[in-house]
Amino acid sequence: MHISDGIIQTPVCLAAHAVCAAAIYISGRNTEQEDIPKMGMTGAALFTASLIHFPFAGTSIHLGLFGLAGIILGRRAFPVIYAALFLQSLIFQHGGLLTLGVNALNMGAGAWGAWLLWRVKRLPESLRAPSAGFLGILIPALLMAFEFNFSGYGKGIFYLLTIYLAVAVIESGITFSAVRFFRKVKADILP
Amino acid sequence: MKHNFVDKYSGIDSPVHRIDPRIKLIVSFVCIAVVVSDSRSGFAQFALYFLLTALLTVLSRVPAAHILKRCLIVSPFIFMASLFLPLSHILAGDTVHGPSLGASPKAALMILCKAFLAVILLNLLSSTEKFHRLLSGMRRLKIPSLVGTILALIYRSVFVLIDETQKTTRARQSRTPGTLKMPRMTVYGRQVAIIFLRSWKRSQVIYTSMLSRGFNGEFPCTRELSLSRYDLLSGGIVTMLFLAVRLWSF
Repeated sequence: MHISDGIIQTPVCLAAHAVCAAAIYISGRNTEQEDIPKMGMTGAALFTASLIHFPFAGTSIHLGLFGLAGIILGRRAFPVIYAALFLQSLIFQHGGLLTLGVNALNMGAGAWGAWLLWRVKRLPESLRAPSAGFLGILIPALLMAFEFNFSGYGKGIFYLLTIYLAVAVIESGITFSAVRFFRKVKADILP
Repeated sequence: MKHNFVDKYSGIDSPVHRIDPRIKLIVSFVCIAVVVSDSRSGFAQFALYFLLTALLTVLSRVPAAHILKRCLIVSPFIFMASLFLPLSHILAGDTVHGPSLGASPKAALMILCKAFLAVILLNLLSSTEKFHRLLSGMRRLKIPSLVGTILALIYRSVFVLIDETQKTTRARQSRTPGTLKMPRMTVYGRQVAIIFLRSWKRSQVIYTSMLSRGFNGEFPCTRELSLSRYDLLSGGIVTMLFLAVRLWSF
């Protein structure tokens, strides 16, 4: 899901950087000082948990957990995802410097989608949690397919979504299980 | 977990290492943008871009094997993105060789060239500078302070948490041997939750210790960075060389 430099058109990447700056400002407003270490540590947890590989169809997929980040951090998930991606691009060259804005917007949108869904309290938690995990993957995958299509790829790129659909189902199960665990062990982590 | 692999070669003394991290960040961003946005050049220009990056690598004294290894790690993603360009048109029933589609093998090869050049430049940036100095450079370049602080916190704690992840993975593997079954999703979910909970718990201790050291919302910016004429000149030359290749009409 990390788009490397050289794939997406440069004006799109630059525009994404500008939108990212606005999104960071909006999501970071009124952040309490004591929230910052939590955000940093959640970012580190997000970074490391994404290194867990889940066996799937003879291969393995790594977790994204944007839905879970959206549930726990709410709108503040965006700067955390941005920082984690920045670090990943510098340390592992996963994603690029120019595409950082695009990648952050894709994955941040997934987290924000999950957060908005999580806030619909009239739905039972057993439905909200897996759906949030599902959206956390599906929204970035959908945005990525549109961006690829905009950059010259054929409409066939949307077939890629079927793979991400399977990943989203796995993520929804894992997110549901994690939320259930939080509810039992430390319910105050869930807003 | 050993994490010296991150800036393993940052201690070398070379003309590239001596450049201020701010200049390196800006020049890397500009050079990547120049290469990536180049849609009209042919392979001759791209050969020159590769020559320039090779020259920078030699000047930096970072072993070429290290750069190649990092390229090899990300190569499956790049090859897949390149392969998907013609494939996406074939799947959609378009003509692959139509010049207007931009889906010719040449376009796919261009993606390969651009992506690998960007990876090499990014790798040179992270290999020729200590990570804490890069972070200082970013803060001095006025990236949002919230992002700068979160970046520093993630960098300081991520390797501790990778250890935690490895421990919990080992524990999970010993508890659940065998093939994949649906209930395994619960096991993975719990592992993820435990990592989040441990990080949450640590964040409270970290916050208390940060407060005791006078933390007031952001980390103090050290004054260790200073721009010299050498930094500006070397940064300017590298940028001009990349721009010259871009503007060159064969």
